[in-house]
Formats: sequence, C-alpha cells, structure tokens
Amino acid sequence: MPPKQSNPKDPLISDDDEVLQAVILSDSFNKRFRPLTRRKPRCLLPICNAPLLDWTLESLALAGVQEIFVICRSYATQVKAALSKSKWSAPNSGIKITPIMTAKETFSPGDAMRDIYTRGLLTSDFVLVYGDLVSNIRIDDVVRVHKERRKANKDAIMTMVVKEAGIGHRTRSRGESSVFVLDPETSECLHYEPVMGYPRKSVARIPREVVAAHPRIEIRNDLIDCQIDVCSVEVPSLFQDNFDYGDIRRDFVHGVLTSDLLMKNIHCYIAKEGYAARVQDTRSYDSVSKDILSRWTFPMVPDNNHPADHAYEHIRGNKYIPKDNSVVLARTCKIGPKSLIGPSSSCSEDTTISSSVIGANCVIGPRSTISNAYIFDNTVIGADCVIDRSIVGSNVQVKDGSRIEQGCLVGDGVVVGPGAVLMPFERLMKKDDEGEDANEGDDEDEDEEDSDEEDLEEYQKNVKSVLGKDANALVWPRGPPEDEDDEDEENVENFTNQRFMRLGDDHSDLNSDSSADSSTDNSDSDSDSDTESVTSVATSTSASHVPTTPTIAVPSSAAVAEYEFRVEAKQSLERAFAEGHSVDNAAVELKTLRMASNVPLSRVREAVVGAIVERIKIGGEVAEQRKEIASVVSRWGELINKIGGVDAVETIAALQFHCAGSDRLPLFGQILAALYQEDIVEEEDIRAWHALPASEGAEVLPGLEADNIKKCWAVGERMIQQFDEQESSEEEDGGETDEGEGTTEGEGTTEEGTTEDESEEDSD
Amino acid sequence: MGPEVHSASTQRLVDNLSAKLRRRQIVGSRAAALETLLVLRQIVSKARFSNIDQLVEIIRNAGRQLVEAQPKEHTVGNTVRKVLHHIREEYNTATNGGALAQPRSAFSIAKFLVQGQPRQQNVALKSSDNKQPLKENDADDPDSFAKGLKPVLMEAIQDVLDELETVYDNVSKNAKDHIHSDEIILTLGMSRTVEAFLKSAAHHRNYTVIVAETGPSYSGHDMGKALSSSGISTFLVPDSSIFALMSRVNKVIIGAHAILANGGIFAVSGSLLAATAAREHSTPIVVCAGQFKFTPLWNLYHEYGALDFGDPSNVLGFEEGDLVDKVDVVNPYYDYVRPELIDVFITNYGDHPPSSIYRLIKETYDDEDIEL
Repeated sequence: MPPKQSNPKDPLISDDDEVLQAVILSDSFNKRFRPLTRRKPRCLLPICNAPLLDWTLESLALAGVQEIFVICRSYATQVKAALSKSKWSAPNSGIKITPIMTAKETFSPGDAMRDIYTRGLLTSDFVLVYGDLVSNIRIDDVVRVHKERRKANKDAIMTMVVKEAGIGHRTRSRGESSVFVLDPETSECLHYEPVMGYPRKSVARIPREVVAAHPRIEIRNDLIDCQIDVCSVEVPSLFQDNFDYGDIRRDFVHGVLTSDLLMKNIHCYIAKEGYAARVQDTRSYDSVSKDILSRWTFPMVPDNNHPADHAYEHIRGNKYIPKDNSVVLARTCKIGPKSLIGPSSSCSEDTTISSSVIGANCVIGPRSTISNAYIFDNTVIGADCVIDRSIVGSNVQVKDGSRIEQGCLVGDGVVVGPGAVLMPFERLMKKDDEGEDANEGDDEDEDEEDSDEEDLEEYQKNVKSVLGKDANALVWPRGPPEDEDDEDEENVENFTNQRFMRLGDDHSDLNSDSSADSSTDNSDSDSDSDTESVTSVATSTSASHVPTTPTIAVPSSAAVAEYEFRVEAKQSLERAFAEGHSVDNAAVELKTLRMASNVPLSRVREAVVGAIVERIKIGGEVAEQRKEIASVVSRWGELINKIGGVDAVETIAALQFHCAGSDRLPLFGQILAALYQEDIVEEEDIRAWHALPASEGAEVLPGLEADNIKKCWAVGERMIQQFDEQESSEEEDGGETDEGEGTTEGEGTTEEGTTEDESEEDSD
Repeated sequence: MGPEVHSASTQRLVDNLSAKLRRRQIVGSRAAALETLLVLRQIVSKARFSNIDQLVEIIRNAGRQLVEAQPKEHTVGNTVRKVLHHIREEYNTATNGGALAQPRSAFSIAKFLVQGQPRQQNVALKSSDNKQPLKENDADDPDSFAKGLKPVLMEAIQDVLDELETVYDNVSKNAKDHIHSDEIILTLGMSRTVEAFLKSAAHHRNYTVIVAETGPSYSGHDMGKALSSSGISTFLVPDSSIFALMSRVNKVIIGAHAILANGGIFAVSGSLLAATAAREHSTPIVVCAGQFKFTPLWNLYHEYGALDFGDPSNVLGFEEGDLVDKVDVVNPYYDYVRPELIDVFITNYGDHPPSSIYRLIKETYDDEDIEL
C-alpha cells in the first residue's frame, strides 16, 4: 500500500465552513519569455504538454481551494477563453472560477492587488499565487497554520510558502532569489532582502533591532520562494494604502517588515513535504519540466492526473509515451531518459531524443538529435537537425540540416532552414504579414511592437546566424538594448541579471570573478543557525550601525541621506528646545524625520544625545554647572527613550563618542550621572557599556579622539568603582548615596578634563 | 461517456471520486474499494432503468470513468466488476427463479472444501419465496422493473459492503492454524490485513515477529508499534538484514496491493526481495489479502509502468540540489512478486494456491466485465 500522503480529512467538509479562496495573477508582469509570448500569455504556454495555468489550477484544486479569481491582464480574452473551455469550469469540478479583467494600466502585482481591493472580492484569508505555479504542497495545511496564528496574533497578515533547496539547486532561481531572516521558533520572517544574480550582492544588511529582539535567528539563502502567499483580507488594503508598492516581495514584504508604523508580521512556512516552483523564466521552465518528468510533482505527473487529461504510459527511465498508441516511433529511433512525447507525434529513423518534451502532432525527421529541448505542438523538424537546450514554439518548421543550439527561443509559426545555423541565445519571431495582427486590438504591446519592427528590420543586416533560404523569421537583437543604457541596475530585469534566468546559459563569465566570496558571504556561513554563528553575525551587524565602524562601504546616496538627516534632526531639536515643545511632540517629529530619510535608530539616538549635550551651557561654578546639566537632562532626557526604542547602552556609547569629539568632554561624567539620576540609564547599563570593547576605544585609530574616548571610559570605570563601594556600604547609608555619587563624580571629571579641540566625529 | 440515464447528482459523485482518486486523496486498496462501493450504491439507488442492460450500462460507464481516473488502484475496477456480477445474479434469480444461477456455483472452487462436508442449507435456501418473475421493458409502467429489482440489488450491494467491512476478521479467523507456537514470522510494511491476522493468532499462540522497516516509506515502523502494543514479541530490522535473518524465519507473511490472475501479486516494494530470499531458504511465503484484491489481470510481460511510482522525495530529499540534477531517482510503491515465489493465499474465502487464483477470479467476476 502506498504511504498515505494526503491527510484523510476531506478539505471540502472541514470544520470551518468558510470557502477557501485563491487569487491567481495570470500575468507575469515581465517579458522573459518573449518572443514565445508574443501572441499568447505566458500562463498558456505549455509545460509538459499542458498549459501552465492548468497546472496552477490543478495545484490549487489539490489543496482544496473552492473559489478562484484569475486576474487577467495581457491577452485577457485568451485567458478567459481558455478558462471557460477548461475542465475546471465544468459544473461538477467543485471549483468556482471567475476571470477578472483588469485594466491595461495594471503594471505590477501591486496594481493588481489594488484592483482586487477596489472590487472587494475577498471575504476571508486567501491564497495568492501566480499563474505559472506548479505545486503539490498541501496549501490547505498552510492555511490552517495561518488561521491558527491569526487567532493568537491579529497582526500576522501573511504566510509565505518557501521550500528548502540546496545551493546550486536547478529549480532555485539565480537571478531572483532572496535572503530570509527567520525566527526559528515562531517562523516569523524578521527581515527580507531580495538578491539578484547581477549586480552581485555580497552584503545582507540586517537591522540591528532584529538581532536585539530575538535570541535566535536563522539567516537563509537556500530557500526556493514558491510565491504562494496565504494572505489575510487586509493585505489588499495595505496595497491600497501604499500606492507605491509594486512587487509583492521587494516592495510589500520588505516594506511591511521595515515599517515601524504598520506593526504587522509576516511568517514563513517552510514546506517539508511537497514540491512547488514557479516557471518565472526560461531557465526555470527547463528545471520545472525536468522536475515534472522526474515525478517530483507527484501526483501530478504525465501518467497520473495530467492537467490536460492526456494519458501517458510511464516507461523505465522516466519516459512517457501516450497510451493511445497514436505515436509513431521508428524502430531505430532512440528515446533517452526524461522524455515526453505528445500524442500523434512521430519520430523517424535514427532520431535521438533525450531529456526533451515533444508536443502533440509533431514530426521529427530522420537522423535529427533533440536534447534538453522543448518543442511545442504541431512543429515539424526536418532531417539531420540538431536542437539543443532551446525552446521551439508551436507550428514551427525547422527544415533539413538546421542547428538550433544553446538557449535559442523560436517563436510560433517561424520557418527556418534548410541549413540554418543559429547562434547561441538567438531569439526568432515570425515576420508579420501586414494586417495580420490588426484585429488583436486588446494586445497591449501591439503599438510598441510596431515601432520595433523597423528597428528589427534594420538589425537583420548584422545578424550572424544563418537562417536559410525559406526562412520567414526576424532575429531579435541580442545584448543589452542600446537605448536603455542607463537602465537601472537595481532593476531585476537588467540585462546581465536576465542572463541568470536564461535557458542554457551557464553564466560562467559572470561567476568567475567573485564566486568564492559570494558563496561564503551569502550561503554557507549564514545558513548555519547555531548560536555561535548567530552571535558573530550579531556583533558584525551591530558594529555596522554603531558610529565607530565605517568599514562597510555605504552607498553614497545613503551617506547623503544620513547627512541630511543629521542636519534636519539638529534643526528640529533646536526648534524644540527654543520653542519649548513637549517631549512627545519632539519625539513624533524625530520619528517622521527618521522615516523620511530611512536611517537606523542609532543615528537618531546619536542626534538626540548630541543635541542635548550641546544644549548644556558650559561655564560657571561647579555647582552651577551641575544644576544646569540636571535641568537640561530632566527636561529633555526623556526624549532619548521616546524616539522609538530603548537602548541605554547605546545611549551611553553615543554620549561618550559625542563628548569625545566636542568641547563638552569634561561634562561627560556629570551628564552620565544626571542620566543615571533620571533613570534613563541604569547601573547595569553603565557596566554593560563599560564592558564593550568599543567603549574603550578599541576600534578607533589611535589619536586625540581615541584618548578622549579612553578618558570617558576611565570616568565610567571610576563610576563603577563607586557603585561597587556603594554596594558594600549600602547598609550604612541608604538613599542619600546617589547624590553624593554624582558630586564626587562630577568633580572627578572636571579636574581631569582638559578641553580638547574638536576632532571630527568619526564618520563613515 | 455519460448517457442520458446519468443524473447530474450521481455524475457529480463519480466526478468527485475520480478527482480524489486522481489526486491520490484516496489511497489504499480497501479505502478505494469502499469509496467505489458507496458511489455505486448511490448510483443504483438513483438510477432509472427499465431493463437489466440499461442498469449494467450505467454502472459500467461510472466504473470506466473511475478506473480511467486511477488505473493503479485495481480494487476500484474489482469492486465494479463484483457489483455487476451480483446484479446479474440477483437478476437471474428474480426473473428465472434461481434456476440458472444454481448450477454455476455448484462446483465452485471456493466452496471445494465445504462441498465435501454434509450439506445443511443447500436446498432450502432459494425456494422460500417464489414470487412472480419480474417483467422487463414493461410498456405500461417502465419503472416497475426497477422498483421490483432495486431492493434485492441494494441488498446485494450491502452484502459486498459487509464483506469489505468484515474482511480483516474473516481473513484472520483461521490464523491459529497457520501460525504455530514459537515460530518466527517475517513481515514487511504496514498491512492492516496482516496486522489483524497476526494479532488474531497471538490470542492462541506465542510467537515472534520480525518486521522489516520497509524503506523508503518505513511503514514497518508503524507495523512494529502496532504489533508490540498488543503484546507480540516484535523485532524491527533494517531491510538489508532480511536475507541474513531468513535462515531463522519459519514463515514470511505479507500483504498484497492486488492479486493477479496468474497468481502473482503487487505488494509493497521490498516484497520481492523478501520473497526471493525466502525462496532461497525454502521458507514458505503466505499472502494475506481480502478477496476484493483479486484482479483479472495477467501481467504476463511484466511492464515497468504497471507498478506505481511515487515522487522521489522519500528516497532523496529535494534539498540535495546537486544530486537532484544529476541522478534520476525512482520510488516504486510496489513490487511485482511472481507466482512461483508464493506458496499460499489466505483470503476471506479460504486458502488457495497461486495456481487456482485464475479460477477464483473467473467465479467472482463475469467474463464480459473484464474489460470495463
């Protein structure tokens, strides 16, 4: 008996009567499959001879989803027609499918979510997937976990399904992956960073608060992001509120996690069992096809539950041949492992097919070799052809003796050959007869297409590929488009990054320069979760935000923003001091400022501490001076803890470094004492600060400033000595000691203090 | 496929079940048989027909759809065939007063042993109520045939259902005759039939069971727990030591997924290993299974795809990125065990050698239903 892989509970009669809803974004919002997607949407491209959308629908049906909204944008009419024809629309399918035609102005998943919100379709927690998903994960389990969590915590708005995959896994996207920082106990996602293949990322910045708030964190770069999200109803409304959210991961998840105002949580569900992957580029088209043929997607495999209802027979070596005997295989043809041949196709003598998918009604001519290639329906391949690591569209004719190798994409209806030789990564599309596409009015890319046409004609002159005399094809330009030279490198769709998503591209030239350090940076060391490595990460990250360490190169824009912030914060505080604002108002103002310029909390703290220290007037008698300090600290000291987080140790450090660089060095001890009296810092905090190596000036280059830092540290040491003494003599004198402490301390500093000229505060 | 006689509600039932079978939400031969039977009962109770051929056609259509949805669960087809067989039998008794049905079962192999014993009930059984034969294709009242026949049909289906529900007890009722004290029994995987059989024997005998882990599903773990919790002295051993232990084993008892007409079986993967090892040591191999697993399939040229292949994740984790790309892993659920390797079948219809299975199948199902 096979192991029971499904839970016996019928999802249709689960205890809660709520209908499980799902939203499919059938548009991919990018153009990675072009020119294959010139005449039809990506979600209708066949993978293993069934449209991608059908795989997605079957995946959702497997998970017990009862109501599905399909958001259609490009080629919406085609998607709608395909949906109405599919078996899912049959009354007995148990699933209700509603196509939603969204406006052409929907340019990103975020726009689609806003559209969903305005239509008000969703009534409860829903599953959000893309129309190119292949999965057999029990999504209903994820939904159950999500709902349980929601009962305890209303702010857990989203659960992302991720799948563990090792380094270099074929199904894990190189061009578009991510670093997840997780709490291993609650599986809360604490931080998210998108990672691209190019420009290569070698540093992941983890906010200090994350490390501080969680004793254990996992930093993982080995997860396949299946982009199956179980969302609460407020997710669309969050998109509505934040009109600039475009991508769900890069904008929404990142935005929610870094926001201090939303206070929402996002969790991850690391799927232990099951398979899920998106066909997001030609490279993953290849790997997902292979996964299906190797039966990872069981029970959705060609010989069982094939979404297009083809019946295939499984033959040793994961070969699949239609059961209905419609395929003609010549006696001498060789079908290698991991191959799928569609119904009514024929293979002539001495053809060799391996790791490939042949569509329905295809004809493969004698002595042709097809390996790692994907050939769609109704295509004719002539004699002596070689097709390798390429995708050939439907109704294509490849005439005798042609070679299509390494990453070529041949669009629908193209004729090449005889004797065509395509360069690697060539992309061909059919030359349009005029008027043919005029009726495709709803094709949003049409106008753009037309303007391109002439450029393309122009481009044909310097094409190196030989297309053959019968060809009707246009070759697409290769390389980065010239007119978009200034293209934003941060964009995932930049040309070099696209190469990581290209079928058959091993991008060895991109890897060679920095492969060694990247693997250690991102994957190896960080994926460990034992406490030891976490602490090392923690120290390094905290160090990066404490003002002492400018070692990590900050992009210049960030530096500018920080400088601006410092100036603005200073002005804001001066205003507050001058006009006598309440502490709360000043705090709100600072918070807003912090949001605006996106600086870490520690910077705000430095600014506040600095401003307060500068506020104190120097001069006068010792007693007068002390009074001045006390009044300022008691009036404004509270602000330090109101800026959005309490970290007394950092406060002391900030005070130390500020004093070390300013003429108020002599006041350090007195201010510290005042803070102590105002309960802004505690004895333990002083000890903790004192214990830090940075406080001793360990990380500053020797010089005047280092001396000052050491002086401050010495003051702190004396203060701690006094604490110790006080502890031993506590029984004799009770509450009075505090004040006495302050006095002696203050005197100590003034004596010792020598006014220094201001050395620049160590900057980054 | 669906003729007009199919009502929408029964079609929905069939669609629903076939979807579940396709998606492997119903797995296991008994579960599949039970679900099929429940659907067939609904279909018969709702069907409208005026002669037997129409009814048979309705059931065949539904059955064909279910079998096509999941050809690897053989019990689905078996149940359909069995129901058809019963329906025809009931029809014959109802129309001809049982004259036709009687001689067919007179020399049944299933009752071979019983026939040697003094007969008590053979004569009195059928003649009790000799009511008027039913009339087919009654023009005045087209439903009269259905109305007359349905109660007996429902009864017949109920009999099949009862048989399914009591299958474990009936298989294991003679367990103590097969297992003797101080024997060492080897078994594989988790089979409810074998579990019931061994537990029943444990009431009378004191013996030891060796359970192989049965990778990659490791269902042997469950079996070991179940047996030891009912007080049987149980050892759980890795699959690799089956051969080494075989010399000490008195008997190998395994379950089956399907029993084929040639006497071979589809059984949990690893069974072929155990059976071959047992043959090497001339250890008897006993297969415990319900009669509903009899499948009219010969499997003469054992085809690769006849077995069921699951996803490789039990064998090789998906996270092993490098290997996934380079190694093709197969994870067959079942082994085909040839009839030569099997000594005896213990079913709820008695004990049989592999060579007589074809005859039992011929008696259980009608020939015209073998191709649904």
